Amino acid sequence: MSAQTPSTLAQRSGSANPQQPKWTSTGGSAPSTGAVVRATLLIAGAILVVTPVLWAAMSSFKTQAELAQTPPTLWPNHPTADNYTSGLQAFDFVHFLTNSIIVTVSATVLTLIINSMAAYALSKYNFRGRTVLFLITLSTIMIPLQVILLPVYQVIASFGMVNSLWGLIIPPAATPTGVFLLRQYMLSLPDEMIEAARIDGAGEFKIFLRIILPLSRPALAVVAIFSVIWRWNDFLWPLIVAQDESVQTLPVAIARFASQQAIPFNQILAVSVVTILPIIVIFLFLQRHIIAGLAQGSIK
Amino acid sequence: MRLRTKIAALCAVVLATSLSACAPGSPQSDAGPSAPASVDFNSFKGQTLTYVYFTDGPDEQATKDMIAKFEAATGAKVNLQIVAFANLATSLQARLSAGNAPEVARVTDWHPYADKEVDFKQYFGSGFPSEFASGAAATAMDSTGRMLAVPSDVTINGPMINVDAFKKAGVPVPAKWTWDELVADAKKVAAANNMPYAFAIDKSGNRLSTILSQFGTVMIGPDGKNALDKDKAAKALTFFTDLVKSNVSPKDFWLGSGSKYTGANEIFLAGQVPVYLSGPWQVGAFAKSATFNWAAAPNPCQERCGGFPGGKFMIAFKDSKNPALAAAFVQWMNRSENQREVDKTAYWLPTRKDLTDSGVTYANRQSDMSSFLSQINETPSDTWTDANSPAFTASATALISETDKVVAGQQDVRTAVENISAAIDKAIKAAGS
Amino acid sequence: MSVMAPARARGFRGWMRGKNLAPYLFVLPNMLIFGVFTIWPAFNGFNLSFYDSSNGRTYRPVGTGNYTNILSDSQFWGVVQHTVLFTLGFVVLSTVLGTALALMLNSQRRGRGALSAAYFLPVLISPVVVGIIWKAALDRTTGLVNQVLSAIGLGSPGWLVDSSLSLISVILVGTWIHLGFYAVILISGLQAIDTSLYEAARMDGASVWQSVRLITLPLLRPTLMVVIILATIAGFQAFDFVYTLTGGGPVGATTLIIQYIYENAFSYPIQYGLASAAAVILFVVVFAVTFINYAIGRRSESI
Repeated sequence: MSAQTPSTLAQRSGSANPQQPKWTSTGGSAPSTGAVVRATLLIAGAILVVTPVLWAAMSSFKTQAELAQTPPTLWPNHPTADNYTSGLQAFDFVHFLTNSIIVTVSATVLTLIINSMAAYALSKYNFRGRTVLFLITLSTIMIPLQVILLPVYQVIASFGMVNSLWGLIIPPAATPTGVFLLRQYMLSLPDEMIEAARIDGAGEFKIFLRIILPLSRPALAVVAIFSVIWRWNDFLWPLIVAQDESVQTLPVAIARFASQQAIPFNQILAVSVVTILPIIVIFLFLQRHIIAGLAQGSIK
Repeated sequence: MRLRTKIAALCAVVLATSLSACAPGSPQSDAGPSAPASVDFNSFKGQTLTYVYFTDGPDEQATKDMIAKFEAATGAKVNLQIVAFANLATSLQARLSAGNAPEVARVTDWHPYADKEVDFKQYFGSGFPSEFASGAAATAMDSTGRMLAVPSDVTINGPMINVDAFKKAGVPVPAKWTWDELVADAKKVAAANNMPYAFAIDKSGNRLSTILSQFGTVMIGPDGKNALDKDKAAKALTFFTDLVKSNVSPKDFWLGSGSKYTGANEIFLAGQVPVYLSGPWQVGAFAKSATFNWAAAPNPCQERCGGFPGGKFMIAFKDSKNPALAAAFVQWMNRSENQREVDKTAYWLPTRKDLTDSGVTYANRQSDMSSFLSQINETPSDTWTDANSPAFTASATALISETDKVVAGQQDVRTAVENISAAIDKAIKAAGS
Repeated sequence: MSVMAPARARGFRGWMRGKNLAPYLFVLPNMLIFGVFTIWPAFNGFNLSFYDSSNGRTYRPVGTGNYTNILSDSQFWGVVQHTVLFTLGFVVLSTVLGTALALMLNSQRRGRGALSAAYFLPVLISPVVVGIIWKAALDRTTGLVNQVLSAIGLGSPGWLVDSSLSLISVILVGTWIHLGFYAVILISGLQAIDTSLYEAARMDGASVWQSVRLITLPLLRPTLMVVIILATIAGFQAFDFVYTLTGGGPVGATTLIIQYIYENAFSYPIQYGLASAAAVILFVVVFAVTFINYAIGRRSESI
């Protein structure tokens, strides 16, 4: 239900091989001035981007008095892990992490299943209402959940889904972006295979499961990445729906923790650092696949 | 072309059905006054209630301990949900509008939920309010005499000072002072201790009302009408905003927190300011985490003395799953021995008549609590009706946002006072309708 | 790009004719959830904007009263102004920087993986945490940024507490969050450009800048349009990181439209009517801006 659109939207049917970006002049010769300037800029920029996060991580080891000190210290003078021990004591990290994982994983699986089914029908069947359904899907890419927050909240309230993980998982699952991406990808799959399978007597669902899904892996990967990032970071929707601590996800729990008067800021920083770590670790492991997948899957 | 007509038709149909559909929300079911309900404390075994709570620090553990006793005594289970004070109203509204009312909540203003609250007289008889000190009981009654909340603790605003810093500066702690003396002393102490600020106050309409009252005016009068004396209010706001503008009181703190409530407790705890105007609910937290000697000090007098009252209430929701258990829990928590027990460790001032008569012996910091207690007697009576008016919260919101604009240099004090007065009128009208 | 199904799908007509339910069953789960949780509420949102409520529980019809109220609400116009300024600044900055970054990263070979990872890092951090981190880093007296600035003699501006600076700070932080994401999308666009064009240009003696201007930017346009649309929507939607960064302050200077909707709907004093009217207005604006963006993008493409 997020409005991010993949680059396919306006992508012309390009024919180039995406894995070979070779317009640079860095052949085998000595680096030109341009290349040096570029590398310098890139590295300086990267440092600018990363530094605040590292600094916050350093600060999370400072004492309350040191954090309020002027002028501030760069490195903690007396590094202490107290913020972590007492922060995590007051903040049930494992519980909120579990909720975040449950919501992210199940919403993503649900999204992949229903989006790919719908995309398959919209790309490979000719049926009455197809165009209308597709256009409605397309036009709602632009409706962010935020603008229909109140009526959606009322709908889930009438279904009794407020204050349950279902209320976090189901409503945002039918992402128009995912349907759109997958449909575009599936259009490029040859019809002949489907036809051949039908002649062999394969059922419609079996064809989808055994032929279409495996072939759509790159596009499915992209939708999965989008979905994980969206659901993991979702804030406004869970903020309203998850009213009990028992169903809160990490972002909501942190925001609540951060605005609690009795919690000092150094503990808030410590808890924030702890929540960033898992996703960074996962990213570093899968980085190659994620960035390549985004570039590749959205270009097909 | 054909497609376009199709879509248009579809839209028209959906739009028509949605517009002709009945009004949103659930129909109001008000059964009117019903017969007194009886409460059997032995009938709650295995039942659960949700208690939405906000905390200022040590009261959390005190409350948890008392809840454990309640659970042991009744066999019921209490699901304690702690929310940030800044999000309390939002959280309750979202729950109520989704039909997910908690059984019990701790609030500072019970009026917004009046249509959903249990009348405690129905459960515990018309004599129930008289168990509480008359002032406190009055703040929990609506205009028709229903008791829609139980006062669980009273608060009175007043300054706390960094005793070590005062000593170092050689400034004696006065038994009585005016605002000008307070600021002069505070500046001296701040300079001697190299502190960046002299005076801090929470960003809160209730706290700012303290200064209004000391300068001689309240927002809503005992008759429920707009009582803001514009000249006095202008004097108070000029005095205060000058302090903030000149950074005698931290300007960044005041401007950096948006529209939300923010406490200045961290600034005081970090030793950056010698005088901090807050209230007794800070005593417990400071006793635990302050690294210097501190004490409660008398409120400054200008036209009038004393502080500004506030209070916390426990309310029970009618359309929660278990209103009887809710009412029973509230009553149990505020029985004499239980309230005394919580007050002792949470550093709360009691609301019950027997406890205010006998007094509560605190674990320590007794003199600070007594100091706050003594402020109650000096506090003018119209501040109580002001603080407990149904229009107070909305008026206080305007008080903060208009003061904000003065501090930021976007308007002068006169305009702010006019706007506040208009907002009070609006709030009174909205509360009456 | 072909929006309609390809003609060859017609070959399946034989299989589809009659009562074949397969496609309907395939779309059903998605469209059911979609209809119930997006389409229906979207229409109901219009309905809701003709009612007012002061508690979110009981409603009274007010006709177009919400719209006349909101249009005369000075706070609303302030919010609109901040939202437009924020979105403009954010779109321009993140597109320009994103393109520059994509161009540089795309031609960088050594250390590219590590560099991409660094720029992508903020995408992974929950915006709530982003707000917390930057609130600390931008603090006037204890923050990292002013520590560096005052060390080189640039004073210490009040990034989050000075009304004239706070919106700029929010724009910068917003750009910081999305930059890496947009760069990755733009890189995929860059890689779709036929490399032989560059070789031809080089043989004709074109400089690097010339080939960027004459080949890359025109051919990158479709992808740029996507990024601009994405950024526009993200700009109008910004809420979470602002909420923890400035809380909408100082004095409402960074209160954006979503926060206005949220606070009117859920914070006391509740003005549900204003919230739902603002939501409808936002929807119309986002839709129109996106559509215009898209239309311009398509038209210039076909010229």
